[in-house]
Amino acid sequence: MKKVKALILKTAGTNCDYETQTAFELCGAAADVVHINSLVEKKNKIFEYDILVFPGGFSYGDDIASGKILANEIKNKLGDKVKKFSLSGKPVIGICNGFQVLVKMGLLPDPELFEQTSTLYYNDSDKFECRWTYFKIEKKIRNESSCIWTKNLPDVITLPVAHGEGKFISINDKLLEELNKNNQIVFRYSTKDGKTPQYPLTPNGSVEQIAGICNTKGNVFGLMPHPERYVLALQHPSREGFDGKYGWGKIILQNAVDFVK
Amino acid sequence: MFEIEIFTKEGFKDSRGEHVLSKISEVEIKGITKVDYASVYIIDGDINKTEAKTIASELLSDKITEKFEISSNSDSKKSKSSVIEVLYKKGVTDTVSESVIKAIKDLGITKEVRVKTGHKYYLHGNISKTVLDKIAVKLLANTLVQEYKIK
Repeated sequence: MKKVKALILKTAGTNCDYETQTAFELCGAAADVVHINSLVEKKNKIFEYDILVFPGGFSYGDDIASGKILANEIKNKLGDKVKKFSLSGKPVIGICNGFQVLVKMGLLPDPELFEQTSTLYYNDSDKFECRWTYFKIEKKIRNESSCIWTKNLPDVITLPVAHGEGKFISINDKLLEELNKNNQIVFRYSTKDGKTPQYPLTPNGSVEQIAGICNTKGNVFGLMPHPERYVLALQHPSREGFDGKYGWGKIILQNAVDFVK
Repeated sequence: MFEIEIFTKEGFKDSRGEHVLSKISEVEIKGITKVDYASVYIIDGDINKTEAKTIASELLSDKITEKFEISSNSDSKKSKSSVIEVLYKKGVTDTVSESVIKAIKDLGITKEVRVKTGHKYYLHGNISKTVLDKIAVKLLANTLVQEYKIK
């Protein structure tokens, strides 16, 4: 059977690349960590891959704003290739800093438009927030959303977050309505029993507790929590997991690998 | 030379300004009602106003939550509030400026530029120069590597 290939894009300050590579390998993919400079040199190399991953970290030291410099670089040097890859329907994921990159270059929520219409702004606390929290995946989302990354998840999952700029804000209420109507808001911060949380379970003050969104087609997905940090039960503080040994993050990444197969 | 200031737009939470205001009250300084924060980028080089505007709108500010103001060295700015500006001292590596220079090139502006970065705090209320000095030294500037100006 064909081995699914994932491209994990790194640059100065990316620090979750190898952890993400290991997580995708656990899901059966062949994952390569590729520096942006080498991709810019051979732009079409992107199409040798089945999954495109923008991992977490502090690209360019979070200078100016988180993800801003990398978003600017990708848009100006690789924009047409990244857009084409996304519109082809292949899975694309942005995790934490990668999510910030996706919204700031405009690949989310609408890769066809490819213009920034939302942002991830400074946490309400003006602090870096790092903890395990809960995420609600509504039944409606699981049944009606086309998001390929969130299939087979239970109503509420737990994952760790670690960010200073995670407050999701859309350009206007109309966009927010559309995201809701199209079931593009796939992850919301929640309590353990799926209720609306208070700080610190909602770490940043996101509008409508938004923690993750996808495009209407469901292949491009961005989220603030780190699925790669919970692929094994061993990574959980209480060693909780499913099937005795896996974490919820594995289901998310496995969904993309299985989709390509 | 252009000085670009980035502010949070009205209607969005200026977390940094609010954070500084709460720190000021923690050190028991009274009389300050509001703090507005702006990040500052001083760009020197052979760029024109249009390019400065592109840098400000496409790179330095967030389209959704932030606004920018550009002034050139010939402009004289007057503010109703007291302003504390914090910049690195000469000789201290300004790592953010190095990232900004790289990002300006990524934008397609290939002219040589020099960049300095800093912070401005607009303090509203009745404040004496002595109190502003105290706020700057105690809360806003690391005087080992940064210098501050009160305007």
